[in-house]
Amino acid sequence: MMQAGTAGTLQIDGSRVSGNDVRSQNVYACTTVQNILKSSLGPQGLDKMLVDDIGDVTVTNDGATILKQLEVEHPAAKILVELAQTQDEAVGDGTTSVVILAAELLRRSDELVKNKIHPTNVIAGIKLAAKKAIEYIKSDLQLKTDTLGKETLLNAAKTSMSSKILGSESDFFAKLVVDAVSNVKTITPSGKEKYPIKSINILKQHGQSAKQSALVDGFALNCTRASQQMPRTIKNAKIAILDMNLNRGRMKFGVQVLITDPDKLQGIHDKEQAMVRDQVKMLLDAGANVILTTKGIDDLALKYFVEAGAMAVRRCTKEDLRRVAKLTGGKLVTSFANLEGEESFDADCMGHAAEVSEETLAGDDLIFIRGAKSTSCQSIILRGANEFLLEEMHRSLHDSICVVKRVLESKHVVPGGGAVEAALSIFLERFAHTIETREQLAIAAFADALLVIPKTLSVNAAQDATDLVAKLRSYHNEAQTDAKQKKYSRFGLDLMEGTIRDNIEHGVLEPSMIKIKYIQFATEAAITILRIDDLIRINPKKEEQGGGRPY
Amino acid sequence: MFGGVQQRPVVVIRGGDLKRESGKKAQKTNIIAAKAVADIIRSTLGPRAMLKMILDQMGTVQLTSDGNAILREVDVSHPAAKSMIELSRTQDEEVGDGTTSVIVLAGEILTVAEPYLDQQIHPTRIVKGFFMALEDAIHILHEKLSIPVDLNNKAAVLELVQSCIGTKFTHRHSDLMCGLAIDAVSTIQRDVDGKKEIDIKRYARVEKIPGGNFAESRVISGVVLNKDILHNKMRRRIENPRILLLDCNIEYKKGESKTDVDLSEESHFQRLLEIEEEYIKEVTSDIIKFKPDLVVTEKGVSDLAIFYFVKAGISVLRRARKTDNNRIARATGATIVNRTSEIKESDIGTGAGLFEVRKIGDEYFSFIEQCKDPKACSILLRGPSKDILNEIERNLQDAMHVVRNIYLDPRIVPGGGAVEMALSQALLEKSKTIKGVEQYPYQAVAHALEAVPRQLATNCGAKTIRVITELRAKHAKGQNPTWGIDGLKGVLVDMNELKIWEPVTVKSQTLKTAVEASCMLLRIDDVLSGLKRKGDAGGAGEQGNAPPMDEAEGMME
Repeated sequence: MMQAGTAGTLQIDGSRVSGNDVRSQNVYACTTVQNILKSSLGPQGLDKMLVDDIGDVTVTNDGATILKQLEVEHPAAKILVELAQTQDEAVGDGTTSVVILAAELLRRSDELVKNKIHPTNVIAGIKLAAKKAIEYIKSDLQLKTDTLGKETLLNAAKTSMSSKILGSESDFFAKLVVDAVSNVKTITPSGKEKYPIKSINILKQHGQSAKQSALVDGFALNCTRASQQMPRTIKNAKIAILDMNLNRGRMKFGVQVLITDPDKLQGIHDKEQAMVRDQVKMLLDAGANVILTTKGIDDLALKYFVEAGAMAVRRCTKEDLRRVAKLTGGKLVTSFANLEGEESFDADCMGHAAEVSEETLAGDDLIFIRGAKSTSCQSIILRGANEFLLEEMHRSLHDSICVVKRVLESKHVVPGGGAVEAALSIFLERFAHTIETREQLAIAAFADALLVIPKTLSVNAAQDATDLVAKLRSYHNEAQTDAKQKKYSRFGLDLMEGTIRDNIEHGVLEPSMIKIKYIQFATEAAITILRIDDLIRINPKKEEQGGGRPY
Repeated sequence: MFGGVQQRPVVVIRGGDLKRESGKKAQKTNIIAAKAVADIIRSTLGPRAMLKMILDQMGTVQLTSDGNAILREVDVSHPAAKSMIELSRTQDEEVGDGTTSVIVLAGEILTVAEPYLDQQIHPTRIVKGFFMALEDAIHILHEKLSIPVDLNNKAAVLELVQSCIGTKFTHRHSDLMCGLAIDAVSTIQRDVDGKKEIDIKRYARVEKIPGGNFAESRVISGVVLNKDILHNKMRRRIENPRILLLDCNIEYKKGESKTDVDLSEESHFQRLLEIEEEYIKEVTSDIIKFKPDLVVTEKGVSDLAIFYFVKAGISVLRRARKTDNNRIARATGATIVNRTSEIKESDIGTGAGLFEVRKIGDEYFSFIEQCKDPKACSILLRGPSKDILNEIERNLQDAMHVVRNIYLDPRIVPGGGAVEMALSQALLEKSKTIKGVEQYPYQAVAHALEAVPRQLATNCGAKTIRVITELRAKHAKGQNPTWGIDGLKGVLVDMNELKIWEPVTVKSQTLKTAVEASCMLLRIDDVLSGLKRKGDAGGAGEQGNAPPMDEAEGMME
């Protein structure tokens, strides 16, 4: 309980907070973050509008995005921000709930510590509780997707969207997402199914309405033809995918050409032009009629393409072209040089597609590659009223895509709507009774903390939280005590009507992996913050006077 | 020591001027800001539209009644207002018309949503009701209220276009402008694989020349360039010219690689100069070989080359814009050439009937016109002053977009607020079948739609309430869907007689944009502003877009 400033045994130029003080400060900071996020949880959660100092606006419901935009300074709160980020990267959804749960865990643990239970005991209890909870999800709560029928995927996607702006159109977008993810399915050599969601390209174009968004079986490039005289559509496209300049040849590395005979100067110039001509000719001779490159194409090369009726596109991004290569079965060619030191272009490197066309959407031109051999690339074109809306649609779509991928990969789902949290809370409470040591209290606290999710959900839906959660718990209690009533374990909140219902039947589903990860991450973050008992802040060098400065 | 903690604030989020508004307050201020934007341009709706004079930071004056043009110039910093302004841009880029009505409608939808927020209806419920109403409205619009148009009947189309956009111009010029728009669009229309392609941005260029009379404006079946030929001796008028298009210099150019020439003798230096001349001679002779009458290049032409061209009787234009060159290529059937040694006979454009340089006012203009099958055109606009011409151009752009919309989707709906009132009545009727709380916001959309006829009536000084109630009575039970308001006289009239029509695409886009945007704003319950941008890489370039905070607050009052 010491607070040392400039004086004391420890001479530091800064401030030091330790013991209970630092713990309550940390908890306070985390609760603040929790309070900011609370109102955006669940299907009735609302959005935040974030404006930065230059006036850029973000409208979002996504926990990770909100926290990223906030400039959080407090070190403990920063841990929560990173927590949301981790959840976003690891599973892609559930970023809001993980932060809310972590903060709640902290708050409960802090109370225990204040009651003179040593933090290490609390930590041990929480750890045990988390482990048991995850075991229980795996053994009792999760359901195999095979048993639930085809609707499962759509329902999981819908559940993830329900809290976002897309919620009212979730039927439409869920189908879009499920189709896209199922199309990119690949099977690894070891026979495992993979869903590389990075191959789903999301393009945003304002205009029309959300419902006019569409899934393109193929790829859309946000580029335009190099010359307007090129054809807009090419059927049976043979696509050369290049990562090089089609410019007049020039020496690299500052190499100089020194000429003594002035007549030879023209020769150099001719050669420069001939080089690019030969390269283009090589491409065209190989049969290419669509040329995509990441670098530039010289104006003088354009005419050759125009004459050959080919379409050339310059300055595509490398990442896009890699996907195109994968989609069309082509190769990204970085140089024409072959082993013999000659220049050549192998026709096998070309990709194939049924159609490549340029289409105009709301004043911008996009290049579509359709009907390729594989379906390994999908593009979703989002339409909507303005940029902010599109950004938010993009984020919610990304979350849903992640969810569908998780369901497909892990093949297990759990009921949503607070069902898992309520079930775990009952289970852990019962489990706590079997523990004889101090950890019992921590486990009970964990059980209590879990209820923050159903409570917040019902508060956001303007329902009586206490009443609803009590009802929900009674169902789950019955499910765990009475073997005949086992199906009650699927019951969760129905926030529209303010009642309890079978959420599996009503299609409120979440991949079990998200739930498992979120318990893990939240626990770990809470433990990290709980272990802190000293905060030393060194003042910036320039300041003359040191200690006593508040944060 | 313990107590100290509670007294000190724990700073969680950095930022000195961080402002947070949450809950009801955030919702209210968003609505107020959106309404403020709508109020700015309310008075520019309809045939009795008033112009706005806008002074921008540079001190230039803009006179316009175009919703998008006004809002583009208005500096706002309230985020909700910004999002409103984006709407009119979306509308402009997607259909090119209805930029004012989309804002008026969005503002109105938010206004009618406000009482429901006060009545504690959850925003997600309201949003759901709005989306249901939108879907039904679009359905009704397309299925019941729209009327197909026969595009082959030119006279009918002209009449139609006139009725669509007639209200936008002062009456004297409306015939002329509609004619221009139709001519231009039908010129550049092209069928590609059964899909209609109408690219106004690229292939219809408006050339504004102050002076003269409005009546002298016309569509050139070809291209007009604000350029003079390079030499007086070149021919200023050529019939059936052979046109060669280049995008390279006709001067001596250096290579890409760094080349140094080591000179050891005086004669070598002489030789070097000769080479440059020989090069030009070679290039020009390459060109002259194909006997073009006119050469247009995007780059420069050296004096020596000009001399050769004059001698060969070829007229030359230099430093043409890439877009102009593209238009000439499309109008005359030429191919743009880069290397003169690779010119082919097929690259020469022969589609044009006449090349002539004319002096208009103080400037010279090159006309390439009377093209046989031009798929590109220039529109020559004449008028008393630059500001007025700019406004006419904006109107003409709107008009061309209307024509394009009709060509792309030949269905129309009655204008003058008739379609809005009909939709409103149909939605009200349908709302009775909707179960649950969503019924209220659903009805709200129906009421909000009345904003358009109401504003029309207000703008022409009619007795708004009386006229609107009369109109509502007319539309009762889905009758008389074509009755609307005569925006000039402020009385009820059947649109079949007044002939005011609008393309269905514009109306449905207006509805979609307005409803979706208001839904987004309604879902917000927390506004955090003044956040520091991470990395702070924005710099001065972006600073220009960020107006000072106090201005928006002024606006919101």
